Amino acid sequence: MTIDSTALVLGVAQAVLVLALAPLLLGVTKRVKARLQYRTGAPLLQPYRDLAKWWRKTPVESETASVVTAMAPAGIVAAVVTASLLVPLVSSRPLLDGWGDLLVVLGLLAGARFLMALAALDAGSAFGGMGSSREVAIASLVEPALLLALAGAVIAAGSTDLGRIAGLGLASGLGWLTPSLLLCAAAFGIAAVAETGHEPFDNPDTHLELTMVHEGMLLEASGPRLAMLTYAAEVRLVVVASLFAAVFLPFGMASELTPLALVVALAAAVGKLLAVAVVLALLDAGLAKLRILALPGLLGFASTIAVIGLAARLWLPA
Amino acid sequence: MYSEINELPRPAAALTPVDLTTAAGWLPPVIAALLGLSALAAVLPAGEVGRRGAYALAAAASTVMAALADLVLAGLSPVTFSFGSVLGFPLVDVALDDLGAVFVLMLGVVGAAASVYAIGYAPHVDAETDASDSRIRRPDPVLLAYPIFLGSMFAVFGAADAVAFLIAWEAMALSSAVLVVGARPTPGQARAGYVYLALTHLATAAVIVAFAILAGAAGGTGLDGLGAAARAMPEIERNLLFALLLVGFATKAGAVPLHVWLPRAHPVAPSHVSALMSGVMVKAGVYGLIRFVLVLLGPGAEWWGFAVLALGGVSAVLGVLYALMEHDLKRLLAFSTIENVGIILLGIGAAMLAGTAGLASVAALALAAALLHAFNHAAIKGLLFLAAGSVQHATGTRDLNRLGGLVRVLPLTTLAFGLGAVAMAGVPPLNGFAGEWLTFQVLFAVAGNTAGSELARSAALVGVGALGLAAALALAALVKATGTGFLALPRSEAAANATESGRPMVVGMTMLAGVCVAVGLLAGPLSGILVGVTSPLVGAGGAPPPTNLGTVGPGGAGYGPAPVAVVLGLVFGAAAFAGNRGRVVRRAPTWTCGILPEPAFEYTSTSYGKLIRLFFGRVLRPEREVQVELHPGTPFPRTVRYRGGARHVIDERVYLPLQHGAVAAAQLARRVQNGSLQLYLAYTVLALVALLLVARP
Repeated sequence: MTIDSTALVLGVAQAVLVLALAPLLLGVTKRVKARLQYRTGAPLLQPYRDLAKWWRKTPVESETASVVTAMAPAGIVAAVVTASLLVPLVSSRPLLDGWGDLLVVLGLLAGARFLMALAALDAGSAFGGMGSSREVAIASLVEPALLLALAGAVIAAGSTDLGRIAGLGLASGLGWLTPSLLLCAAAFGIAAVAETGHEPFDNPDTHLELTMVHEGMLLEASGPRLAMLTYAAEVRLVVVASLFAAVFLPFGMASELTPLALVVALAAAVGKLLAVAVVLALLDAGLAKLRILALPGLLGFASTIAVIGLAARLWLPA
Repeated sequence: MYSEINELPRPAAALTPVDLTTAAGWLPPVIAALLGLSALAAVLPAGEVGRRGAYALAAAASTVMAALADLVLAGLSPVTFSFGSVLGFPLVDVALDDLGAVFVLMLGVVGAAASVYAIGYAPHVDAETDASDSRIRRPDPVLLAYPIFLGSMFAVFGAADAVAFLIAWEAMALSSAVLVVGARPTPGQARAGYVYLALTHLATAAVIVAFAILAGAAGGTGLDGLGAAARAMPEIERNLLFALLLVGFATKAGAVPLHVWLPRAHPVAPSHVSALMSGVMVKAGVYGLIRFVLVLLGPGAEWWGFAVLALGGVSAVLGVLYALMEHDLKRLLAFSTIENVGIILLGIGAAMLAGTAGLASVAALALAAALLHAFNHAAIKGLLFLAAGSVQHATGTRDLNRLGGLVRVLPLTTLAFGLGAVAMAGVPPLNGFAGEWLTFQVLFAVAGNTAGSELARSAALVGVGALGLAAALALAALVKATGTGFLALPRSEAAANATESGRPMVVGMTMLAGVCVAVGLLAGPLSGILVGVTSPLVGAGGAPPPTNLGTVGPGGAGYGPAPVAVVLGLVFGAAAFAGNRGRVVRRAPTWTCGILPEPAFEYTSTSYGKLIRLFFGRVLRPEREVQVELHPGTPFPRTVRYRGGARHVIDERVYLPLQHGAVAAAQLARRVQNGSLQLYLAYTVLALVALLLVARP
């Protein structure tokens, strides 16, 4: 493999952008949500302050906890950060380009989920078990919807490589967004909201035990461990958002290192992420949480429109 | 035409003598000798020393098998070995080629680990198998059947002759049945063994009929001759052969709806045997499908591929759903085996569809995906069963609802089970993910290639959805097993006071754990070897296609396990170091709203699966039973008993009516055959009169 300096510079720039700005995205979502609810809301940089505060604190650990509680947060951060290095956003060639495709990204996110759900059971609290069992149950419906939605792009591009899919989308311009792909994009959107834990699937702000999913799993974490888990959730949101952008909206990505291309690419990347943050805030503020037994219906709907999109591609004349 | 078989000329392959001119030629006789000695040690009244010796010899034999398979895969093929004869047919007739060697490698690896493990495992009291009982008569049937089981699987994977294959196949079925039933069977074991024997013989019957048809047409029983004959047959006969072979081998593989024996038989065997049954023996069904359907029958009608793909999808999803509903640790693992057989069948189905579409290189890749996942599942499931056995050995129970907290008392077993669970859940960079990754790739390749029919491409996409669903549910099932079984507070005295297993058991688990990690990191080169094995089988000429596993293609979809592992390791190390080093950790009770924590507050295995039970209620048909006992004279409950579970639709809707039907038919037959001698004499007279009437000139 020859080291491509352009790709390397762009890849590093993107990694720094994603890893540094992930908490900001949460800040934006919270702020917009607060404004929608006629509140002032916390400053945009509050998520950074929270992380710094937790990082300094002494962790309190359950007496029944094992090494899983101590080590899982680092493992979750590792999985999510590695996944973030595989998804194109600013550049169509991320830092680890070619070492993993969209299946590897989904696999790493699944690995993070495994550790999270396991760590939630470690303290032996009923809330942890509640959050953990809900997380894996919802994920079992989200995963197939995500895969079927991505399959539309995989078949269009003839590859599961994200750089290749994004590159082909860039090259084909608006022609990339065929009706079939738009249906898949809608399916991915619904599933992605569930994957990142926003309304109507989960309320990221709740601390009411009976409704918690993700927060229920965090309940026993404290200190630097809580900081790592929260940071991982923030990066995870960026990964899922950039997965959506790379596959369905690759426009504006840089493939060369000219100042203009770089500025356009940065602006496009930030714009896409901000749009996602605002949409999530709108959902959080505007929708009530669905009854948990109604979730299969919504996620099944996502899978169904993905299937319709795929059927359109296979059976209708191009 | 079948009655002529006895007069057929002896197949050429069976006449090949033992070839001692090469180093590899020596190995099969060495394996046979070691297994023979192992059986001898089992028969001798040497007590505990004999038992350990028997397993040590079996471990040595397995190691030699793995070495032989490596030599064959390295290009030293084929190795031939035959001895004995029955009615002019060879008793053992081995001509090990590349495909067989892949399966022998599986057998050798899992067999070696399981045998080492068994040195420390078997003498202790098992809740179900009770192997330590001094009243067990010598020779211990389990000990005697074990080397026969290993040897018969070797002979199945190497068989070059249809009759030798069937003899080995039957020896495998019978010896494993002995291992399931054990020395002093409990009613549960006896029943499991009975169901197993009945279904496995149904499967064998289908295979025998298929072989008889083939042998009649070929005029011999050598596999090469059968293949030529099969390809020349009319389409309708080929369809019949396909159906027979599919039923026979899918039953052995445990595919839904032919799976009912598997979750009954696998869990009740001693755990090192469970590891071999789930890890390797079900793969004999997979081997049969590849060898006899894909290779021997060759490309067939498109519906063959659909049938295999459908079996795979249904097995993958239903297998894992039922695994989620289990709270018996080993039954959970047995259902997970059904799921993974489904994933392997998805690969085989994709290979068949690709073959029909004329995409030989995709077919080769798909078959390699099936083989890779088969190998990975053997190692992982072997590891998980050994760890489950260690739990049962230490606590005397397999009930997840009575376990918990084992991480403190059984740290090594917990580590082994956890590693196996992560690998089985399909998390990179371990080996389970590599097989699933390649299977996804080939399903996408079939779906995306316009050479295939629309129906075939759609079917491949359905396979993608099924595999995604199965993988996500498998994660849930494995988190459940690990979390409720090994973490938090123990739910019984036995779980609280368990002690870690002895060294041989830990060594056995370590061997397979090492294989899981190594194969995960080396998935690239290994899949390259497998594609080299499968390309000639499906007629893909030229250089084998790249798998993109472990490589960075220019723009090609690649997955590099080693670089991903390095990045993961670096980030993990940095985060773990910064987050834990030099920090004081304060320990306090878990917050349970002001009461002291109790095991009763924890989610149990049953409660963990409840949401999924409700989500998939149409399939799982959840049951719920709540009994409340009140304090006398008050409205306040004293005890509340809750029982939740799922019903097995196929058992209830398919097998139960069949069973009732069989009993009803037997009742009818009893009226005719009621034991009265006079009546039988009347039948004889009537039959004679009827014959005379019919045969009247």
